[in-house]
Amino acid sequence: MTSETADESVRVLAEGDGLELLAYLVTAARTQVDEAAEYAPMRLLTAAGRLAEMVEPNASAGLRSLLREVRQGFSETTVQAGDPARYVERLDALCRSVAEYLVRSQGLDGSP
Amino acid sequence: MNNAVLHAIRTRRVVRALTDAPLEHDQLRTVLDSARYAPHAGNRRLHRYVVVTRPSLLRAMRMVSPGMLQRPMAAIVVCVDWAKVHDYGFPAASPGPYIDVGTAAAVMLLTAHSIGLGAGPVTSFSRAALATILNLPDGVRPELIICLGHAAAEQPPAVRRQGGPSWDEVIQWERG
Repeated sequence: MTSETADESVRVLAEGDGLELLAYLVTAARTQVDEAAEYAPMRLLTAAGRLAEMVEPNASAGLRSLLREVRQGFSETTVQAGDPARYVERLDALCRSVAEYLVRSQGLDGSP
Repeated sequence: MNNAVLHAIRTRRVVRALTDAPLEHDQLRTVLDSARYAPHAGNRRLHRYVVVTRPSLLRAMRMVSPGMLQRPMAAIVVCVDWAKVHDYGFPAASPGPYIDVGTAAAVMLLTAHSIGLGAGPVTSFSRAALATILNLPDGVRPELIICLGHAAAEQPPAVRRQGGPSWDEVIQWERG
């Protein structure tokens, strides 16, 4: 995985970290077959948080703030049933932050 | 009430953040051996206990265990030996072996707490992957991991949910 900066592409994920995340995602797919549905978003957010933690040391300054938001947005024990309405609101807010970063980093905010 | 056992029961918590301070071998042995005293169906030793302290193994275990938020310094994997279960006469769908996993886990968690360790159970892991990583014999299936270490000062919040029943609402006294 690389982080795009103004004039270069930087490698931000070590192979060992990538392997750890890969193993987590594959095995989470299996465990989710037997687990309550509310665990699914929790596992995905945990994976996102771990990816953010792995990437952050080598990420560009612009991406780093998004990574911190991902890491701090949800604890690994937060489930929707804790506060259903607020949970979805916070997820939507996080999705908006991701999209806003995409618009900025991918140069989508200019005229076509 | 000045009762050490009750106090330990009431103050034990699932520990999801551990420090990197090592465990003493005697501490690990104390937790492990406490499972002997858990109530088990028929007292037939139908379970196997795998102790892991090697950092590379612990890291691999965590990779295939989505429910493992901790980075444990040691782990005890409670397994069911299904060949022995069948020999004993349990039908395949019997919940007995799983209940005994729970009783062993409860005793070990309480023991860990009583000697000042942090401990947390994990059941969300790939049985197939963990059996491969630990090179378990055929028919020995891992069912629960006890993560052990020293509790970190800062813990993730407990799992909270709205709208659940109160404790008294789940109790029935006598015939319903």
